[in-house]
Amino acid sequence: MSISKKQIAEYVIEEKENHYRLAYSYVRNVDDALDIVQESIYKAFSSIDSLKEPKYMKTWYYRIIVNNAIDFLRKRKRLILVDDEVLASYNPAMDDSYQNFDLQKALNDLPEKYRSIIILRYFEDLKIEEVAEILGRNVNTVKTQLYTALEKLRININDLE
Amino acid sequence: MNDKKIEQLKENYLNTRIPEELEFMVIKAIKKSKLNESKKNRKFKCLKVAGTSLAASLALFIIGINTSSVFAQTMLKVPLVGNIVEVLTFREYSLDEDTYNANIKVPAISGLENKDLENSLNEKYLQDNEKLYAQFKEEMEDMKENGGGHLGVDSGYIIKTDNDRILSIGRYVVNTVGSSSTIFKYDTIDKQKEVLLTLPSLFKDDSYVDIISENIKNQMLEQHSADENKYYWVRGIEEEGFVELFEKISIEQNYYINSDNKLVISFDKYEVAPGYMGVVEFVIPTECIADILVGDDYIN
Repeated sequence: MSISKKQIAEYVIEEKENHYRLAYSYVRNVDDALDIVQESIYKAFSSIDSLKEPKYMKTWYYRIIVNNAIDFLRKRKRLILVDDEVLASYNPAMDDSYQNFDLQKALNDLPEKYRSIIILRYFEDLKIEEVAEILGRNVNTVKTQLYTALEKLRININDLE
Repeated sequence: MNDKKIEQLKENYLNTRIPEELEFMVIKAIKKSKLNESKKNRKFKCLKVAGTSLAASLALFIIGINTSSVFAQTMLKVPLVGNIVEVLTFREYSLDEDTYNANIKVPAISGLENKDLENSLNEKYLQDNEKLYAQFKEEMEDMKENGGGHLGVDSGYIIKTDNDRILSIGRYVVNTVGSSSTIFKYDTIDKQKEVLLTLPSLFKDDSYVDIISENIKNQMLEQHSADENKYYWVRGIEEEGFVELFEKISIEQNYYINSDNKLVISFDKYEVAPGYMGVVEFVIPTECIADILVGDDYIN
């Protein structure tokens, strides 16, 4: 059974805040995050045929957002030759409202490949398999990278499993 | 899952401030996408209904005679030149209004002795284009109400091949809303036997679907390894799971026969490749299908 436009529209409206948060976690800028949410909607409607079953809607859609966000970061890197550290310091989003500033900074400073996994696995509560699907990596790679990411954040793995 | 650090980070994440304009923006993007999508999906679904409303098309023929000098000439030419088959522009629709542009040319075939075939093709061409123009106007009004935008439709035809034996005519529709989509639809006629040649009618059995598909997949990979900008949605180039990968041509895949008597398989924009590749065509080497062709009259 194919997915109707109506189903996509309903899903997109229902989940818009989650989608925005995910986009924002990559670009950390309101306007850019809104752009990514918008682009993802266009992309989803134009590639509706690539989604076979409704149960894959979430991973399918998250993958669109993540790809859009990564594309966006790549372009931005090419445009502004400033390293991430400096960029982050300009960013109003890195404000002091976080309870645990150092920890948050450690997460923000993680390379994208690790950060994506933490966000999808723990903040979005997705299964490892789903995370792998969204990121287009294999399950074992994701597992290894997840442990590395946690180590970098000095989080005790045993507490989590 | 009870590490405090992760919990704190998650809390920060969930506390991301949601801008007020998000909802408005999402709804607007959905509206715009639906508009785009209905254009892309339009294809030529109306083929099936061709021939149903005879009364309506009769009325249009009368209008055609009254308003189009080309049509009048077409009518005149039939008895004069006997069975010389030709294609002429039967009607034209055009609209040019600031950011809204439509240019639709309707072809008509004349000179076939087989009037059933000629009429059914011409009626199909007319109805498809009538519908296209009506849809364009509807979308234009819709867009105007929703704050305006750019909308364009360009439709016409090209004669791919016209020799003693074969007439291949390709009709195209280019829709423009931001980005454009292009749809091609071919008809190939045997001018001597006066029959419409469908893809299955060229082959002894259905095995052509697999044989041609395999050949196309190889061509895709070869082109990609020679020039990585030539990108196709096929296993070996695109990873699985995200886009629908090209597996097989359809039984009635769009095709035409080129002037070298080779079979050419055509895919619409976005059908097997990203948009920048446009409409893609593959010439199928005759030796790879020679064994399964009904004969070598058309393709050799």
